[in-house]
Amino acid sequence: MRVNITDQRSPKFKVLSEDQIEMIYWAALEVLERTGGRVFHDEALDLFRQSDAVVTDGNRVRIPASMVERALKDYPGKITLARRDGKRTLHLEKDEVNFGTGSDCPFIYDRKTGQRRRYTFNDVAEAARIVDYLPKFDFFMSHGLVSDVPNPRTYDRHQFLAMVSNTTKPLILTSVDGEGLKDLYEMACLIRGSEEEFRINPLFIIYIEPSSPLNHTKDAVEKLLFSAEKGIPAIYTPCPSAGATAPATIAGMLVQDLAETFLGLVLSNLKKPGMPLIIGGVQTIMDMMTSTYSYGAPELALASAASTDISKWLGLPMFSTGGCSDSKTVDEQAAIEATLSLFTAMLSGASLIHDVGYLDSGLNGSLEMLVLCDEIIAMVKHIGRGVRVDEDSLALEVINRVGPGGQFLSEDHTLEHYRRDFWFPKLMDRSNVETWVAGGKKTLKERVEEKMNHILETHHPTPIDGTVMREMKKIIEKADKKAS
Amino acid sequence: MSELYGRISEVLISGNIEEIKKLTQQALDGGTQAGEILGKGLLPGMDIVGQQFKACEMFIPEVLRSAKTMHAAMDILRPLLSESEMAGSGTLIIGTVEGDLHDIGKNLVAMMLEGAGFKVVNLGTDVKPQAFVEAAKEHKPNILGMSALLTTTMPKMGETINALKEAGIRDQIRVMAGGAPVTQDFVDEIGADAYGSNAAAAVEKAKAFVGR
Repeated sequence: MRVNITDQRSPKFKVLSEDQIEMIYWAALEVLERTGGRVFHDEALDLFRQSDAVVTDGNRVRIPASMVERALKDYPGKITLARRDGKRTLHLEKDEVNFGTGSDCPFIYDRKTGQRRRYTFNDVAEAARIVDYLPKFDFFMSHGLVSDVPNPRTYDRHQFLAMVSNTTKPLILTSVDGEGLKDLYEMACLIRGSEEEFRINPLFIIYIEPSSPLNHTKDAVEKLLFSAEKGIPAIYTPCPSAGATAPATIAGMLVQDLAETFLGLVLSNLKKPGMPLIIGGVQTIMDMMTSTYSYGAPELALASAASTDISKWLGLPMFSTGGCSDSKTVDEQAAIEATLSLFTAMLSGASLIHDVGYLDSGLNGSLEMLVLCDEIIAMVKHIGRGVRVDEDSLALEVINRVGPGGQFLSEDHTLEHYRRDFWFPKLMDRSNVETWVAGGKKTLKERVEEKMNHILETHHPTPIDGTVMREMKKIIEKADKKAS
Repeated sequence: MSELYGRISEVLISGNIEEIKKLTQQALDGGTQAGEILGKGLLPGMDIVGQQFKACEMFIPEVLRSAKTMHAAMDILRPLLSESEMAGSGTLIIGTVEGDLHDIGKNLVAMMLEGAGFKVVNLGTDVKPQAFVEAAKEHKPNILGMSALLTTTMPKMGETINALKEAGIRDQIRVMAGGAPVTQDFVDEIGADAYGSNAAAAVEKAKAFVGR
């Protein structure tokens, strides 16, 4: 028996050393003391004024480091979400990776006409059904933005309905403002049965975004305060673009990003300590040729991984980004860019890897891309499984039995292990050329489309209980009436 | 004389603020008219910057450095330019609509327009329709530019155009709109005059509106 063994069960990946992480952390605290942030919300400013924070010039808030350090102690390093049916499947814990879509893409290519048009309720419903089916997606964010609604200011309620009716997977939601979040929360509590049940088995995380650099809008803050009050898990993260709304250096961008999130952390702590809070963001460059906020840039992959190192050191779950592209179509560029960011995000151990399926720099929510990325995630995760080294896998017995010049194909060891350890492609084609030609010379894109159509034709998730549906629709109608 | 104008263009393209201030003052001291310096030295220089940007030989930070340089020269020239000379280069007011704080795109457009010789009044963010109208009355611009990132604030663009109509000044101004969720279709729907798909496109359209 061998003793004193350490197993490395998966590849290890780190971008930053602990010293580097600490330097970024201290720098973020320095930003909060020296530069602070602007907060466009009266109750928040009152909370800050009553604390050790310093409020000047109306709404400029500077925060002493001690407030951040004390607040950090109150936040959970473990957040778990449950599906619509109550099964607890989304575990946000250190190095536990989960993949899902992004939110609110305004455009899609019409499948019949090929025309670029605005997203509809039906499109989001289809995206939800596809994600509900695809095994490598752990959560669903709307992917598209529901535009065919009576009033743009209540689109979030309709969007939630499209999402929750068509997938049972845990959700990440956006809302227009505090009112919107209240309605989404009320609807989710109907599904859960009560506020208590939602608190212990949350159905959704609310996505909230401060505006880089260092601005905290009224809408963002009111959502954060409501989440703190009710214990709704929240993501409070910015979308900085290096060189434009953040420093051009990745370290500088991460410093500012942390300072923005920390202000939210301190604020929610002043309101009510201990809410489930997730940090991170979409961290990338502004492309200096096109002014595009680049989703395919290798800098996104690198910065997200560095940010994940920081989140793990802080003991907080990480909202990372991957599986997205600047390409306008599902082509080689899309595949390359998506794979790079999915791979690094997986290796980095990020809790939530979102924006999978984004095309056109986040303007297009592609259904085909979802199907393609499911395969990429599977491949990438397979590498993440690492290499098992033990008596069984060292295979000394079977090597000896097969001997020089023998074959392993018909061995029991092969039968048992290939099933467990090989990855089985669903979309990647490994057939010989004759077979491929006989099958119609299908390209990857064609195979992806076939699979997407098949899912849409055949997959329908469990419907929601009729009474709950009726009650939810009442809430939506009420919101629509109020908005008009 | 053309040597001086050539030198001014060169300094503009390389973005040397100290040099441009020296050269501009030198030209004025030598008796050259402010309007000539603008029209024959600065604007052609910025045109070349624009062309180099289009040809992917210059990137945004370098373009903005040139724009800053242009701005430094304009600070010296502005008090000396005649009303018509100032008007000739164009005046533009720009802002992000009510309810929206996003402004990096809008600021990029503003900086590039200044670089192209426009006088730009940047109203900032969260600009109510009435504030656009007041600014238009005060500055009498050729062009009004609106930006939005949030789809929930896009309706404010239509409201702003209506506010201009109600104030009786809609036909005195050309209205441009842009932002990630904005499209040509949307711009047509609300009755704006042009859609700027990015900063460079916005500058081209603005120049066309003032006949440059």
